[in-house]
Amino acid sequence: MNIPILLELFLLSCAAGILLAMAVPERYAPAVLAWTASISSAVILIAGGIGLFTNQSFHAELWRISSLGTLDISMDRLSALFVFMAGLIFLPVSVFSARYMQRYSGRYSLRSFSVFYHLLFAAVVLLLIAADALSFLLAWEVMSILCYLLINYEHEKQDNTSSGLLTLVMGEAGFLAVVFGFLLLAGPTGGLDFATLRLNAGAIGGATRWVIFLLTFFGFGIKAGIIPVNTWLPKAYKAAPGNVAAILSGVTLNLAVYGIIRVNADILPALTAGPGIVALITGSLSALIGILYATTEDDMQMMLAHSSIENAGIIIAGLGAGMVFAAMHHPVLAGIAFIASLYHMINHSMFKTLLFLGSSGIELKTGGRDMNRLGGLIRFMPWTAAFFLIGALSIAALPPFNGFVSEWLTLQTMLQSASLQSIPVKITFALSGAALALTAGLAVTCFVKAFGMSFLGMGRSESSRRAVELPWSMRSAMLFLALLCIVSGILPTYIIPVLDRTVTPIVHESAVDALVPPFFTGGRGKEKLNKAFAADFHKLGAQVGSDVLPGRGLVVLHQGGKRNPVVFAMSTSYTFVVLLLLLGATMIMLKIVVRRQKVRYQPAWDGGVRKLLPGMTYSATGFSNPVRVIFNTVFHPTVTIETGESPVGHFRTAITMERTEVHITERLALKPVVAMLKAISARIAAMHSGSVNTYAMYVIISLVMLLIGERFF
Amino acid sequence: MSGWVLKGLKTGIRTTLYPKVEELAPGVSPGRPAGGRAAGNKKPAAEACPVDAIAVRDKQVSVDYDRCILCGRCLPPAGASGLVKPAADYEWAYKIPRDTVAAGGAGVTKTCSHSLHIKVVDGGACNACLSEVSQLTKPYYDMHRLGFFITPTPRDADLLLVVGPVTEHMKLPLKKAFEAMPEPKAVMAVGTCALSGGIFGPGFAAGGGVKEFLPVDIAVPGCPPPPLAIIHGLLMAVGRKDPVPSPTSPGPGSGMEAAK
Repeated sequence: MNIPILLELFLLSCAAGILLAMAVPERYAPAVLAWTASISSAVILIAGGIGLFTNQSFHAELWRISSLGTLDISMDRLSALFVFMAGLIFLPVSVFSARYMQRYSGRYSLRSFSVFYHLLFAAVVLLLIAADALSFLLAWEVMSILCYLLINYEHEKQDNTSSGLLTLVMGEAGFLAVVFGFLLLAGPTGGLDFATLRLNAGAIGGATRWVIFLLTFFGFGIKAGIIPVNTWLPKAYKAAPGNVAAILSGVTLNLAVYGIIRVNADILPALTAGPGIVALITGSLSALIGILYATTEDDMQMMLAHSSIENAGIIIAGLGAGMVFAAMHHPVLAGIAFIASLYHMINHSMFKTLLFLGSSGIELKTGGRDMNRLGGLIRFMPWTAAFFLIGALSIAALPPFNGFVSEWLTLQTMLQSASLQSIPVKITFALSGAALALTAGLAVTCFVKAFGMSFLGMGRSESSRRAVELPWSMRSAMLFLALLCIVSGILPTYIIPVLDRTVTPIVHESAVDALVPPFFTGGRGKEKLNKAFAADFHKLGAQVGSDVLPGRGLVVLHQGGKRNPVVFAMSTSYTFVVLLLLLGATMIMLKIVVRRQKVRYQPAWDGGVRKLLPGMTYSATGFSNPVRVIFNTVFHPTVTIETGESPVGHFRTAITMERTEVHITERLALKPVVAMLKAISARIAAMHSGSVNTYAMYVIISLVMLLIGERFF
Repeated sequence: MSGWVLKGLKTGIRTTLYPKVEELAPGVSPGRPAGGRAAGNKKPAAEACPVDAIAVRDKQVSVDYDRCILCGRCLPPAGASGLVKPAADYEWAYKIPRDTVAAGGAGVTKTCSHSLHIKVVDGGACNACLSEVSQLTKPYYDMHRLGFFITPTPRDADLLLVVGPVTEHMKLPLKKAFEAMPEPKAVMAVGTCALSGGIFGPGFAAGGGVKEFLPVDIAVPGCPPPPLAIIHGLLMAVGRKDPVPSPTSPGPGSGMEAAK
């Protein structure tokens, strides 16, 4: 099996999916979609896996377009990683969609959904394997438009239309920025394929580098929803069907990361710390603002959308740190930062897709996503609850789940700024680290609320008290992702080397020895592991499992110099085992203790009310209100309280409180720009008098100016 | 802002030393009518009592503190003498010996002697008793120094402190709170209303005290009882003060039963 054949197979199965969707009766379209898209995912998983785990790479010229060069495709390790992740996310989402899409049966076209879905999948893969600017941009544009079509799938809803258009507008703005970035990158003469661009990049001047960086960083960043270009994201995720939101978050968000890495780390690595610092600040601010809005949001899908902004921020902050380290000639630290960033990206794909599938499942069975109307679902949907809990623990970065590993690595990377010289850079790192730490803390609040308010307590609406468990196909999709979350959480030492192989071509030095010391082999061979150092850790048990497990070890450890031999170290694998042992021991102890005691069961203390009604219990809004109060400056709400009074006076008949919030970036970044544009267009509008003579004069003036220009320049 | 710190330092510690030292400051107790043998005609005093707490038999005056509302009508007017005398003590609490709850009360005495968590339930009181209870946490009485703490949930509570006659609406919450408390647990009724229904009950809206619903271990009479009386009751509940039998039970200096 080699990659080109698999890619052809993939495109064939996508085409088959499209054709079958057209051919079969409408009601079978989702089932067919599940099959064809799953097969496509499996094929692309194998292709990506080959690229990722073996040394096989692939490059092909598709066809030549005169004056623009060739359309190339290739798959290096970076592409392979992203292709692999796309397959890994599309697989469960496709299986999930089979039953999920039934809810749209009869109202919206299931056929067109299938067509868009397969096309999006194909566009994503083509984008990732594109090896020249032209095919990359083509695929990007197709992907953007398909995203719009899928987000606006429920096109009969008025709100969705405006969210969809906003998505489209911002997507196109980003696309244009990226196009200009590539044009500047290519310069007047050079070819458009990535290899040529990389070769010619050295000649680009400092100012141009900055412009290219800003254009591509924010252009690509729009898809990831980094500030200040994140306004479209929550609205789009709210409008999108649940499975599409999962794809948006699990796949297309990664494309932004891919674009930024490809252009700003691979083709045109920054020579100064500046771009990295910009990325770092943007990332950490995005993370903080994202999680603040996520914590206070009560609509589950919107909450997950804001949380996507947060996670994109963490990823981008990691990338920024990597770019700074790379520019400051610390290739190993840069490698660690990029590994942390990519690790968080794959983790985010897994747990966020899982959570989106969970919230879609809840919406399917209860008819709503407002956490204030949910509650007590764990009794009716125990499996969904368990999977959602795993997702929530992962995203809240609690060990031993995967979110912990990558967020911990990212934070540790921030602390490595000690090895940098520049004081301002150090301060930026410290502040960003603090922002990310606060983010991690708020994320716990956010997901305690998400899980607690939806699954625990009492059902706050009739529909949430009549929910039933999801069908097995949907549960299996979530089970798959939950297992991925656990595996990538407890086995980081097997994932880091793979990521390192992806990152090495970018930073030109392997960081695997600096992160995963070969404790299992005890420093045999070429690895740089001090024997005495290894022996110390063997005493602590770092070689436990070397007889049965392959690989380098189970401890993530960064070695420093003589003064601090261990800079940071942890092992979720051993933590996981210890946690299991502790849990078991606690349960046994509890059994022993309770055996000799009389246990009395009493109902929960409800404050002594006659009957505890669901409306009396803690609501989602109430749970997050402290955050709302503390960060009032950020939310800046407009609150209007209207009191209705009876004609007699003094008797209040009704009090209505209305609270409207405008997202901080919309308030601080977008509105001034829009106001400025409006002012400029008002000035220009003065030219339009409506008189034909004036327009004739404009024509003549411009003609004369053109002729003069032609003559002299 | 820092003014109060300075003021606090200047003022020094004003917290009462009770129970180590007897508190003799004026005003810590409103006083209550004392019974006992005395010369003269006691009939006017018994007739003056609006709640029938005073009984006279063989020149022996007995006061039923479970009913007394400390109105002072039985006390002599200024310059006169020979009626019921006031007593300005404050160690008013007494223990109700009850076989059925002996285990519960004794458990608290044994396990909570220096750390007692109290759940306060207002069974429809007029707020006078609650006001006195709230004095306990303030600097002068400061019951925390003795290891007594008020807790908002009965799940953590060792002692249920009830004030008020227990109105119809508070019966269920009171029972729920008692049932929600873990063993060992004790009940303390504070105030005349909680002991006998006081001026409110028994009636159609209020009961005749906590005893009707829950096994009361410690009673603190008074309307309202002064904070030191409540502290006395708490100390008795945890066994740091000797249990005193009901002053209205048959015995010297009392005679409610005898009066009937």
